[in-house]
Amino acid sequence: MNFITELGQYMIENSSELFALTVEHIAMVAYGIFFALLVGIPLGIIAAKYEKLAPIIISITSILQLVPSLAMLAILMLYFGLGFQTMVIGLFLYSLMPIVRNTYVGIKEVDDSIIEAGKGSGMTAFQLLTKLQFPLSIPFLMAGLRVASVIAIAVACIGPYIGAEGLGKEIISGISLQSDVKIYAGAIPATIIAIIADVALGKVEKKTKQRMA
Amino acid sequence: MKKILTGSLLALLLLITTACGNQSSAEGGEIFEYGGQKNTDPKIMGQIVKLLVEDQTIHEVNITEDIPASPQVMGAIDRGEFDFATLYSGEVYNNHFDEDQVTYSTDPEKTLNQAQALFGEKYDMKWYDSIGFSNQYSIAIKRDFAEENNVETMSDLGDYANDLTLGTDNSWIERANDGYEGYQDTYGYSFGDARGMDVALMYEGIASGDLDVVTAYTVDPQIVEYDLKILEDDQKFFPPYDASLVARNEVIDEYPEIAEILDSIVGMITTEEMTELMYEVDIKKRSIEEVAREFLEEKGLL
Amino acid sequence: MELITDYIAFWQDKYDSILTYTYEHLVISFVVILLSIIVTVPLAIYMTKMKNEKIKNLIFNIANVFQTIPTVALLAIMIPLLGIGFIPSITALFLYALLPLLRNTYTGIKSIDPSIVEAAKGMGFSTFGRLFKIELPAALPYVMSGIRVTTVYIISWTTLAALIGGGGLGDLVLAGIGYNDKHMIFTGTILAIVIALILDLIFGKFEKKFSKA
Repeated sequence: MNFITELGQYMIENSSELFALTVEHIAMVAYGIFFALLVGIPLGIIAAKYEKLAPIIISITSILQLVPSLAMLAILMLYFGLGFQTMVIGLFLYSLMPIVRNTYVGIKEVDDSIIEAGKGSGMTAFQLLTKLQFPLSIPFLMAGLRVASVIAIAVACIGPYIGAEGLGKEIISGISLQSDVKIYAGAIPATIIAIIADVALGKVEKKTKQRMA
Repeated sequence: MKKILTGSLLALLLLITTACGNQSSAEGGEIFEYGGQKNTDPKIMGQIVKLLVEDQTIHEVNITEDIPASPQVMGAIDRGEFDFATLYSGEVYNNHFDEDQVTYSTDPEKTLNQAQALFGEKYDMKWYDSIGFSNQYSIAIKRDFAEENNVETMSDLGDYANDLTLGTDNSWIERANDGYEGYQDTYGYSFGDARGMDVALMYEGIASGDLDVVTAYTVDPQIVEYDLKILEDDQKFFPPYDASLVARNEVIDEYPEIAEILDSIVGMITTEEMTELMYEVDIKKRSIEEVAREFLEEKGLL
Repeated sequence: MELITDYIAFWQDKYDSILTYTYEHLVISFVVILLSIIVTVPLAIYMTKMKNEKIKNLIFNIANVFQTIPTVALLAIMIPLLGIGFIPSITALFLYALLPLLRNTYTGIKSIDPSIVEAAKGMGFSTFGRLFKIELPAALPYVMSGIRVTTVYIISWTTLAALIGGGGLGDLVLAGIGYNDKHMIFTGTILAIVIALILDLIFGKFEKKFSKA
């Protein structure tokens, strides 16, 4: 009980700083995902269009996701220096795989008969892509976005190790100062953001699915 | 839905780009960057530098904390991301230079001289004389265990080492000169088990009984709090880690008022004093800024 | 060229401890995976028979929350509760493995054509007989794919166990970060990736075999 009141007190006293850290946390994740969408969707489309490239694209992005997060950041830091932008690059790399893979699968899943119908009505390959295949693959893309967001929010928590702030600042300094209050003060909001992102994007995913049906 | 998403994203982008613009301090001076490692002593030093600079000049200091270790701090100084930091003389033996450039020694002065010359040149920075405290590796065990078994020195521990679990930071086990391998060669024994972990957890481990021996840093207040005994290094194995401030030459050449402040910090804090300050932060959980301010006020420097 | 000879010298010097770290890494990962299979598969089977939707959703939600807690935070939270070392590392990673396994097994069994189950009932199979002769074999490809995905992630996440004294390849990565040694960082990273890829390949083969059967 004592711990909970202490934690509550700490969080209230530092609410403005915690809020600023939360905003920065979300900003890092949003940037990372934004760039991942920018690069990942075209990559996914390329993979779907050129079957030969697919295994290469998919395996490279999958391997990126297997790099242990601490090592990834230590290596990125050697080349990009400290701070916000390095973290964004890291989050971008981690978010690529779910987005590329889901775009790819989504486009592949579009029913052949629909494509045939499109072709029959005289659509060009480009029109097929933009009018039929891509829109129909959006529910899959949303599922990928959801996975990517949750992972990115978690990875962003080790930001302080490379001089990026965000809620990890409380968690990491809580570990090094042996302050459980600080650890929880960072971990609770980070988890809440992740849950909100998960639920909200889950809803969006469902909606896009319904619209397709 | 899509509009809201893109809209909020754009708003965020705008927010960040405006926040990241070129800045100067409230009084029209520079904003300098201090980089601190994960341990508490460089964090306290950061606050001390910040308080003194902001009190005596028009400049401001921004502190970045929890950088994993000294090599990453040096990398950031090299790239001009940090202007000041606290570094330790023994770091000079850690794989930064070829064997023909550096001579391993456990003598504090030889170590400091080499650090000043080699790092000073490599990163174009000034490595000041010691702040006055030393934060070197040592071997610590629980005091009651030491008294029961009459263990005073690291050699004494050899008789029991087989049954003991050692907790240490993640790099000590792999260090070439002053690491576990060298320790086994010098003292002729090894521990039953040796586990790497985050330093803060090492102390929790020995307090809870998960660990029997830790590679404590001499300045850490947990040694006092958990009633640990630092064993005498009778074979003179561990190299000194005397703490010094460092600053990029570019900064101190251009701002003599900053150089003056950094000079004044040389010899300011003894190991005992730093342990006391760290006790306030690590054990009593007080804010670093408050503790640093109190210390400077007591010394009549603020 | 010098890079390569340097690196070979590094291996000659360190292969003993590199092997130990790899071994520890494998032990942690396998214990986690085994534990989570033992717990999740029966739970998922039980859940498919469960009538109460609310409790079912609750279990899924709890497993989901565990997965959204940032890894660093979860490890840090474990310390006050379970101390340091092997046990808290296993526990934290186990909590992460729950959801993907639970979800896949559950969907696997649910996806079995109800007519098959009905037919089996008609042939006089008992509940257990049905489970072991029909439902489980049919769900096996799903379970295998769940195990495969989870394993790959667990291998990557196990590197973080080094932060709390759990050992494994993370020790090598962190040692490299602290001791200014890029060889250590790269070796730890690459080994973790290679292990994950090999296991992915092996499990992928199993998965194919089962889905053909």
